[in-house]
Amino acid sequence: MSSNKFLKHEGPWSDANDPLMCSDTGSWRTKRPVVDKEKCIFCGFCALYCPIQVMEMVETSHFLPDLGFCKGCGICAKECPKDAISMKPEGDFQK
Amino acid sequence: MTEKKQGKLTKVLDYLKHEDPFSKGVAFCPGCGLELLLRFIPQVLGNDIVITGTPSCSAPVLLGQNNQSWHTLSYFGTLMTGAAANATGLARYYRKAGIKNTVVCFNGDGTAADIGFGNLSGAAERNEPFIYICYDNEGYMNTGIQKSGTTPYGASTTTTPLGSASKGKNLRRMNLALKMAMHKIPYAATATLSDMGDLAKKLLKAKEAKERGFAFLHVFAPCTTGWGYAPENTIEVCRRAVKTNYFPLWEAVNGKIRMTKTVKKPKPVSTYTKLIKKFAHLNEADLQILQDDIDYEYCMLGGLSALEGECQLPVSSED
Ligand code: SF4
Ligand code: SF4
Repeated sequence: MSSNKFLKHEGPWSDANDPLMCSDTGSWRTKRPVVDKEKCIFCGFCALYCPIQVMEMVETSHFLPDLGFCKGCGICAKECPKDAISMKPEGDFQK
Repeated sequence: MTEKKQGKLTKVLDYLKHEDPFSKGVAFCPGCGLELLLRFIPQVLGNDIVITGTPSCSAPVLLGQNNQSWHTLSYFGTLMTGAAANATGLARYYRKAGIKNTVVCFNGDGTAADIGFGNLSGAAERNEPFIYICYDNEGYMNTGIQKSGTTPYGASTTTTPLGSASKGKNLRRMNLALKMAMHKIPYAATATLSDMGDLAKKLLKAKEAKERGFAFLHVFAPCTTGWGYAPENTIEVCRRAVKTNYFPLWEAVNGKIRMTKTVKKPKPVSTYTKLIKKFAHLNEADLQILQDDIDYEYCMLGGLSALEGECQLPVSSED
C-alpha cells in the first residue's frame, strides 16, 4: 500500500524506510519455468543470470524460481547447461 | 532415488557477497539486461554505494515514485547534461567530510556518449574520484528507441527507421570506452552480462582504482524491447557480441590497454545480428560495412594493446 502522506504526484525524494514498492511481476508471466530436479546439477547459472534474481537454492540440491515475482523471461531455461528447465505455458497451470 | 550427478556451484556466485537491495517486483521488462546489471552491482560492490544518475529506464526505479522506493540504496537523481558534474560534487563532498564510500555515476549511453559527454570527459580529465558506469543499450530506449552515438551502423530505431528514405542508421557508432581510456584515467574497461565473473572483477578493480581517481566501465546491456529479440536471448546476445568481436572485452590501466578476453576464431557478425530485429533488414553489403567497422575497431584495439611496453607514459600516475 502507498505510504505517501504528502504528495499525490512523483516526488523529489523517496523514503526507503517505508516498505519498498513491489509490483506483482509474477502476474506478467506467460510461460513458467519448471525445473527438473533430477537433471539439475546445482551449478547456479540460472540464479546468476536471472535478471530478477529470484532463482532460489533448495538446500544444496537444486534451484527453484520464486513464482510470485518471476517474469517468465526464459533466460534461466536458455542458460541452463543441462536443459533442466523448461518453459511451460502459464495457462496450463490454471484450474 | 538414484544418486544424481552433482556439479559445483559456479565460482562467479562467490562475488555476490552482499544483499540485493532491490525489491523483488521491479517494473523492468522481462529479460531486461539493465535489471540484471543493477541488481548485480550492489551485490558485488556493497550496499553502501551512492548512486547518481539521470532520466533513463533506470531512473524510475532508482529514483522511486510517489515518495516510495524500489530499493534501499542512496540515489541522487540529476540531469543528463550534468551527470558527471553532479557526481564530482558528491565525491568531493564525501572526501571533504572524511566519509569513505563509493560514488557510482550510473547512466545510459544517451547520457554518457551524447548529452553528458562533455562533463564526463571533464571529470575524467580532472581525475575525479568516482566510478562512472555506462550501461549501453545503443539508444534512447526509455523515450521511445531513438538512435544515439553508440547505435551501430544499420540499426533501425525510431529516428533512423526502415522505410523508403532510410535503411536504418547510416553512420558508424562511436567507441566510447576507447575515448575514455584515452583520458589516461586510472581504470577504464568494457564488460557485458555473459561474462559475469569478468564484470565482477572489473567492478572491484574500478572500486580500487577510484582511490586514485576516475574509473570508467562500459557495460553492454541489450534491450529486448528496443532491439526486438526474444527475452530469453539477453545473455546469448551478449555472448555473441563478444564472440564476433562486436563488443570486445578489455581494460586499460592509466590508458594502457589489455584484452581481458581474446576470441580465437571470431564469428562473422551475422551470427550476432540474426538474433536481433533491428538488424533484420541488412543485406550482405550492409553487413559487410558493419563487419568492416568491427574489424577496424578491433584491429585498432589490438594495435594499441600491442604498443603496451613500447610506449612509455611521460608521467607515471601509479602509486
Ligand atoms: S542452471 Fe540448470 S543445472 Fe544449473 S542450477 Fe540451474 S537448473 Fe540446475
Ligand atoms: S524465467 Fe526469467 S525471471 Fe523467471 S526465474 Fe527464469 S530467468 Fe528468472
